[in-house]
Amino acid sequence: MVVLRDGRKLIGTLRSFDQFANLVLQDTIERIYVGNCYGDIPRGIFLIRGENVVLLGEIDLDKEERSNLREIPVEEVLVAQREEMEAKQRLEKIRSRVLHEQGFCVDNSQNDLY
Amino acid sequence: MLPLSLLHTAAGHPLLVELKNGETFNGHLVNCDNWMNLTLREVIQTSPDGDRFWRLPECYIRGNTIKYLNVPEEIVDMVKEDEAKARQARRGRENGYNNRGRGQNRGRGGQNHRGGSGGQRGGGNMGSRA
Repeated sequence: MVVLRDGRKLIGTLRSFDQFANLVLQDTIERIYVGNCYGDIPRGIFLIRGENVVLLGEIDLDKEERSNLREIPVEEVLVAQREEMEAKQRLEKIRSRVLHEQGFCVDNSQNDLY
Repeated sequence: MLPLSLLHTAAGHPLLVELKNGETFNGHLVNCDNWMNLTLREVIQTSPDGDRFWRLPECYIRGNTIKYLNVPEEIVDMVKEDEAKARQARRGRENGYNNRGRGQNRGRGGQNHRGGSGGQRGGGNMGSRA
């Protein structure tokens, strides 16, 4: 599983990499997690530019079987994800307003969570 | 196969590029270089929200703005063919260089064969590593 800076989780077979940690993933699925649930979107072959990768790790298939998360249809998970994003954005707005009042400099680049 | 060589193999094929700002570009890859700069043809550009679309006959994308690329499945099969072809070319070239040096020793028998198989062994190793 590869985690990107925009928060996406991609699961696939690592085919190759280079000195910049550019990755080639095959049979990739994008898995969206909301609460205890997740939804998968099949994506095919990805060539990921290394600087956008936060981390990657090998999936332990035994732990996968024993996980408590349940799979739900993609449409549902996308709706749930949007709601979660909106809630987070509302909180972030309040937070940045308060910080700004206190004199802090607020950076709102939402694409890069890291 | 290295990521950038996969990209070179994908030239002429349609692919999707997502930039760091979330814009997506769907088009046919014309060319690419070592910095991942790309030129695409017949491109559909989509805004990050997915609400606005543009059609561009050609476009150039600077490599450092790219988040990722989505390439079609067929590319992987093409990659294997391309690697085999590259290996053949390399072996042919090495045999040519070896024979040029060893041409004078043809009368002495075994040396040509040793030189030839040495070239192949090297090519084989490089192939499996990639």
